[in-house]
Amino acid sequence: MENQSNASEKNSKGGSREWSELLNSTFLPPFSLKGWLFFLAGLVPALIAGWVIFPMVLYSSQEQPFNFSHVIHADPDIGIGGDTELETCLYCHYFRDDGTFAGIPDLYACTMCHDDPEYPMGDSEDEMIFLEQYVAEDKEVPWLVYSRQPDCVYFSHIAHVKMGEMDCTTCHGDFGQSEKPPAYKQNRLSGYSIDIWGRNIAGFKTDTWDRMKMSDCAECHTEMGHEENNACFVCHK
Amino acid sequence: MEITRRNFIQLLAGGAAGIHITPVPWKMMDDIAIWTQNWPWVPVPERGRFDHERSVCSLCPGGCGIEVRKVADRAVKIEGREDFPVNNGGICPLGAGGLQLLYDETIRFTSPMKRVGPRGEGRFLPVSWSEAVGTLAERIQALRKDNRPEALAAVDGSRPGTASEGLVKRLLQAVGSPNCYSMPSIQNTYQTANLLMQGNAGPMAYDIENADFVLSFGCALIEGWGAPARVIGAWGRWREDSKAKGPKVVQVESRASNTASKSDAWIAARPGTEAALALGMAHVMISENLVDRSFLFNYTHGYEDWIDEEERPRKGFKTMVLESYSPDKVAGITGVAADRIIALAREFGKAGAPLALYGKGKGNLNGSLLECMAVQALNALKGGVNTPGGAVVQQGLPLAPWPDVETDPVARQGLYGGRLGTAGDSRLPFAESSIENMVEAVMQGGGASPVDTLLVFGANPVFTLPDGGAFRKALTRIPLIVSFSPYRDETAAMADLILPDHTALEKREEIVWPTGLQYPFLGLSKPVVRPVYDTRHMGDTVIAVAKKVGGPVADAFPWRRFEDALKARLKGLAEARGLTSWDGSKPVWKTFAEGRPVSPDYDSFDDLWKKLDSGGFWYEPTHDFHDLSTCFGTPSGKFEFACGRLEQAVKEAARGGDAKTLLHRMGIEARGDDAYMPHYETVLSADAGGDTLVLVPYEMFNHSTDWLPNPPFLTKTIFDNQLRRDESFAEVNPETAAGHHLKEGDRILIQSDAGEVKVRVHLFEGAMPGHIYLPLGFGHTAYGVYQKDKGVNAAKLVAGKKDPLTGRTVWWATSVRVKKT
Repeated sequence: MENQSNASEKNSKGGSREWSELLNSTFLPPFSLKGWLFFLAGLVPALIAGWVIFPMVLYSSQEQPFNFSHVIHADPDIGIGGDTELETCLYCHYFRDDGTFAGIPDLYACTMCHDDPEYPMGDSEDEMIFLEQYVAEDKEVPWLVYSRQPDCVYFSHIAHVKMGEMDCTTCHGDFGQSEKPPAYKQNRLSGYSIDIWGRNIAGFKTDTWDRMKMSDCAECHTEMGHEENNACFVCHK
Repeated sequence: MEITRRNFIQLLAGGAAGIHITPVPWKMMDDIAIWTQNWPWVPVPERGRFDHERSVCSLCPGGCGIEVRKVADRAVKIEGREDFPVNNGGICPLGAGGLQLLYDETIRFTSPMKRVGPRGEGRFLPVSWSEAVGTLAERIQALRKDNRPEALAAVDGSRPGTASEGLVKRLLQAVGSPNCYSMPSIQNTYQTANLLMQGNAGPMAYDIENADFVLSFGCALIEGWGAPARVIGAWGRWREDSKAKGPKVVQVESRASNTASKSDAWIAARPGTEAALALGMAHVMISENLVDRSFLFNYTHGYEDWIDEEERPRKGFKTMVLESYSPDKVAGITGVAADRIIALAREFGKAGAPLALYGKGKGNLNGSLLECMAVQALNALKGGVNTPGGAVVQQGLPLAPWPDVETDPVARQGLYGGRLGTAGDSRLPFAESSIENMVEAVMQGGGASPVDTLLVFGANPVFTLPDGGAFRKALTRIPLIVSFSPYRDETAAMADLILPDHTALEKREEIVWPTGLQYPFLGLSKPVVRPVYDTRHMGDTVIAVAKKVGGPVADAFPWRRFEDALKARLKGLAEARGLTSWDGSKPVWKTFAEGRPVSPDYDSFDDLWKKLDSGGFWYEPTHDFHDLSTCFGTPSGKFEFACGRLEQAVKEAARGGDAKTLLHRMGIEARGDDAYMPHYETVLSADAGGDTLVLVPYEMFNHSTDWLPNPPFLTKTIFDNQLRRDESFAEVNPETAAGHHLKEGDRILIQSDAGEVKVRVHLFEGAMPGHIYLPLGFGHTAYGVYQKDKGVNAAKLVAGKKDPLTGRTVWWATSVRVKKT
């Protein structure tokens, strides 16, 4: 047994010599095959941990307080609409008189239509949740905001939408066409939504709205010929 | 299979290599950086609605438009307004740091209070507003019942010409006390100089932007003088474009301040001798015929020798200057070489629109009247009075007067005979009030203090008055001190009762004519946040106290609250032809010289009020430069080198007696006709030289030197050679230091007749030899942890002469002795 095993070890050693020589002729470390197996045994789990488990651990997932359908609301038949897509969005996500952006409508704006908690306008369960838990209680809906930037970032919607003539979709994608808001995934460490870094953990993006880090702001400024707006104090003031 | 140590390391290496080709390290680096921004103790405003409120900064008389950013109703940022003609987007460090004067509970009174600990310790207990107002009203009633209403006195830091100032004066007048004392400021100096030379106590209005040669006598042009953002804006325009040739700027100042360093030329005259320098320049200009003869001939009085009503020949300004202020002689007084004086005078005399500015630092403290007049005389020699690019003659804002106060016999008796000190009487005919004299009167004699109840508004005289601590001593003799300060300042710490005012961002307040601005302007601030604590507008409190006192005192206030009184005054603006908006396309200083009247952009008072409330300002963008024959209100109807009003006042006061003695008591040593003209009087408390140095306190732009506490943000901007840990630094010229065996960083004791302080030495070649420079605004014993016990208060050392005619303290030259410790 001893001899055999010795022999087979020798054999395997002999067979692996070529491999080892091949590997050792590159810049890679001079490992034996067994060494490489151990190396891979460390490498592969690390890759799995990094690419698969890490994103699952890093982000928590929360549902919005209740479902909200942009499709139902942005229907000209129910009165919300406009000549352009932008005007449709602005119906609820409007600019105040002083130029500031209202963002997600507050309860007051919603109750312009949903004014009576006793009489739902549609027949969905979600509307009932809204009416009973929020309108009747006069409580703001604690929406989870996908696009919230850190407090040290100054962002003016009017500068981009009116002066820059940008569409909402450039940054917000097709959110306005959604039937159901996606789960809100919060970065457990930084506290911000996954949509800031992007849903791709590696940070790759295909569309302009895929991520919204500082480099994405700067990239667009540069493309649009507004490189001067990449100065620190333009946003961090 | 045997796992060797090597295999284990290989496993780890594989893991380590693997993790680096996943997003983990790069993502974690980013997330950790953001995580550090979100630690619970990092201050972040609550989430909520963003708002912008447009208002006007009332922290200084500069009148800058501000925009306050709010998140969820909390103010988070103050910025300069670009739609505002005075500052056009600019803002000063104090204005930007103003938020820290609003939310810092440790420096503010959170409700009305009464003192429980010994005076000065600052221990107070909250009381209700009705109790606080009641206590004061009862005291006033008692004084009036005892027939001594004059025992009520007030020290008022409200800015001249504002409704707040008017209400305080009115309360005192209605009660029956003439003892209302304003805090010294450069505005008093300007107004008195204008009264004597131009015949109206209007504001000083310098058309700096249109001048082509700016000669500043001590104005901290880029360090807070006048309307700081306006002057810095003008300076920036002069410097930003080398092709647009800005004026040459010359700074006269004994210390190389930032302004002096950045000027085209710096002239270091000994502090207090600047008037002599101006007159020496006048000598050169007159003898070389570099004067505007047409202006001098047609619109001035007392330039040439003249004959008075009694047919006596009188000496003119020209003769006086040629006799007494030759460049050589002036060089001896000022320490400025004669050829420099001659060169400067020639440059000034040959410029097209030269402007001589008078000031002292930021202008928070008084200036010297004779010096101001001598500087204004330079402008007159070049015809630079009421011309574009010159000193503009303005009459003040067209505000409507309030109805007269109907006084009862008690009040009339108090007003007639109860004046403390001598301000306004024979010795100080041109000082409306003199706080220094009140202090003297309180300290005199061993009996009870003539002041029973002292009200303090918007001022911190215990700290800011450069009187060597005399005011604080006087307070210990006054039975009841009532402070209206919103802040826990040194004076409030001595008070028995606190009726806290709002702070600037919580308050409706006027800015009546920003210091030095050339066109009529009124700024109106509005509350941009709801009061953070249980405070009340000082005007509302004054009205409430008057109503509580009752009788004719209550009748003197026919308004429910401050805003009604304010509106009553502002009605005057509705009659005038002004504007309440500015589109930013053309600066007002450009339209100003065009002289075409504008049509007002409001049609009634209600319309005006609405626009004032939202825009925050009213102004008259044009001026009539052609009325030189009617704009002077002097006895001669002309610009007076020989001041008729001064001579008249001296004559009346002397009542046929010896004018010489009287002039001596006013602080004027000059004899004959010179006494009534701008001339030089020595102000130094003792001869410098030998072991003594001359102490010159100075104001800093990036530090609050006024009654307002310093925002901690600004403390961060102080250099290590101005304040290190808790020690102040005094600047000394290396040459002087060597003579006193002092090295950089040495600890010294500075002693004056008033007191002594311990500081460290900073060697500075920009300090005049023989002088020692200390920054003002340090050495607080009150407020919060960020203000208290930082450095020493230079005002405590000031001792010496009073400024001639005004009786105000000469704070820019005190003899001191220096000892190494």
